[in-house]
Amino acid sequence: MGLTRKEVRGIAEYARIALTEAELDEMTTYLNEAIELLQPIREYNLTGVAPTFHPIGDLSNVMAADELDANDRALELGVALGNAASTQGRAFRVPSILGDGGGDR
Amino acid sequence: MAGFDQLGARAIAAGVAAGDFSASEVARAALDAIEAREPKIQAFLQVSAGLALKAAAATDARRAAGEELGLLAGVPVAFKDNMHLLGTRTTCASLMLEHYESPFTATCVRRMLDAGATPMGKTNMDEFAFGSSTESSAFHRTYNPWDITCVPGGSSGGSAAAVAAGEVTLALGSDTGGSIRQPASFCGVVGMKPTYGVVSRYGVVAFGSSLDQVGPFGRSVADVALAMDALVAAGRDPFDSTSQEVPAGFLAHLEASVEGMRVGIMPDLMGHEALTPEVRAALDDARVALGDQGVEVVEVDLPHMASSIAAYYAIGPSEAFSNLARFDGVRFGYQQPGCTTLAEQTALSRAYGFGAEAKRRQMLGAYLLAAGVYDKYYYPAQQVRTLITSDYRRAFARCDAIMLPAAPTTAWCFGEVSDPMQMYASDLFTISCNIAGNGGVCVPVGLGADTGMPIGVQLQGPAFQDHKLLRMARALERGLEESGRIKPGSVAPAFAGKGGELA
Repeated sequence: MGLTRKEVRGIAEYARIALTEAELDEMTTYLNEAIELLQPIREYNLTGVAPTFHPIGDLSNVMAADELDANDRALELGVALGNAASTQGRAFRVPSILGDGGGDR
Repeated sequence: MAGFDQLGARAIAAGVAAGDFSASEVARAALDAIEAREPKIQAFLQVSAGLALKAAAATDARRAAGEELGLLAGVPVAFKDNMHLLGTRTTCASLMLEHYESPFTATCVRRMLDAGATPMGKTNMDEFAFGSSTESSAFHRTYNPWDITCVPGGSSGGSAAAVAAGEVTLALGSDTGGSIRQPASFCGVVGMKPTYGVVSRYGVVAFGSSLDQVGPFGRSVADVALAMDALVAAGRDPFDSTSQEVPAGFLAHLEASVEGMRVGIMPDLMGHEALTPEVRAALDDARVALGDQGVEVVEVDLPHMASSIAAYYAIGPSEAFSNLARFDGVRFGYQQPGCTTLAEQTALSRAYGFGAEAKRRQMLGAYLLAAGVYDKYYYPAQQVRTLITSDYRRAFARCDAIMLPAAPTTAWCFGEVSDPMQMYASDLFTISCNIAGNGGVCVPVGLGADTGMPIGVQLQGPAFQDHKLLRMARALERGLEESGRIKPGSVAPAFAGKGGELA
């Protein structure tokens, strides 16, 4: 049972990629073909096999100290804002995330 | 004097150190060659002439002041356009990042520059490294220097083509599923994907964080070894927590004897139906060449390799979806104007900024990581990864390296492979190495009897034994050179000597 066009529309919303109607058709075909390609991994008996999430096994998350980063890796304000399309003062500028019109979920 | 494209990296660095020519002269020769060859190759997205001349002048000043010069003094190098270099854009060949200026320099780039290399510019690639032909670049094609009706391979196609055409001496690429080794094969150059963790990923735009690895292209194994020395010399990079301490000495041990070392072959795979007859013949030639050098051939098996495509296309797109979620049009990247909500702005910015394949991979990843689906594909794929890694461990108990094709065919023509599934299938021989994390290198074996196009053979080694792997690669190159099959250091004939005279 393959993915329907409606389900693919839902995935596109979740992935935050606005697709045209024509793209939705192509994407539905693609995803069903891609899922078919993945079937071999479902054919093994994997009971008791531990997953390998990373080729270097003994890693853990690295947390920086909660203090102002003053080393040479810290970006100057102008550099940090320099690639943004909309800025205001020291901030990135974004449309409303609350209120009417759906906002952000 | 000869064209700079006749010289390898070692010869250039030695010539600069000896004062036979200056780094500035080499930089001007490289810029001249790029100007002459680029109209037909289009390997670059940006040529950094100003940075190149400034870096070369600094190298010359160091020499004049009697300071010691680096391993790569004056060597012209190009960087795949997913690597940050201050003073250049980093576009990932995407409209999303068309105007994105590098805010800092990636560690891999920094180390090449610290070794004295001259930065010639940023090379074309498949958008965000999704592809095997460089055709998914949002900006333009790159043409294979051996036949400009053919693709250079990908995703690091620009880097491979720039080296093959003699526009630069070395280039860096990144390899998530074969993106260094396959274009190396298509363009007739040496390309190495080191073991995961050998080269820092800091400052390289992420695709699949547990799969991505940076590595060099060169026209000989020795040049690649020299680049590896430059990349690892400063030790592990504190800015990439997966970076590992790896000793230098790649070049120093390159010519050591391989007598008694063993190379594993998989008889089933050598007769794989996807391989063209000329690729099979190249594998035979490579086996003979290694035998001539005293390497013993043993049979090995990687029983789960057949499922590596499935595992890869579950893991890779999932990681890509997570990584590319950062492109929301707010802090960097394309931003759709006139939107009233952030959700609308994000969805429309991503719709415009990403090309078809980038959208496909992210859609696939979004689906695979969804609740209820995660347990069906992503999790078992990581279990299959354990099986593939165990296969390698068993195989490497019996041999020092495994010999495989780099690609089932030679370079194809533009537009010939347009179906994504067909494109994915062409990764069959390279991706298991990214899944397990061990090193792989592609060495040119000569031209195919039917197509006349370059064919590379791949050697894969155990994790963190990349020195030994390169030594085996050099033995293969030496064996093929001695039998007259290849001439290491050669530039694609149509472009050799076009511009780039060292005055």
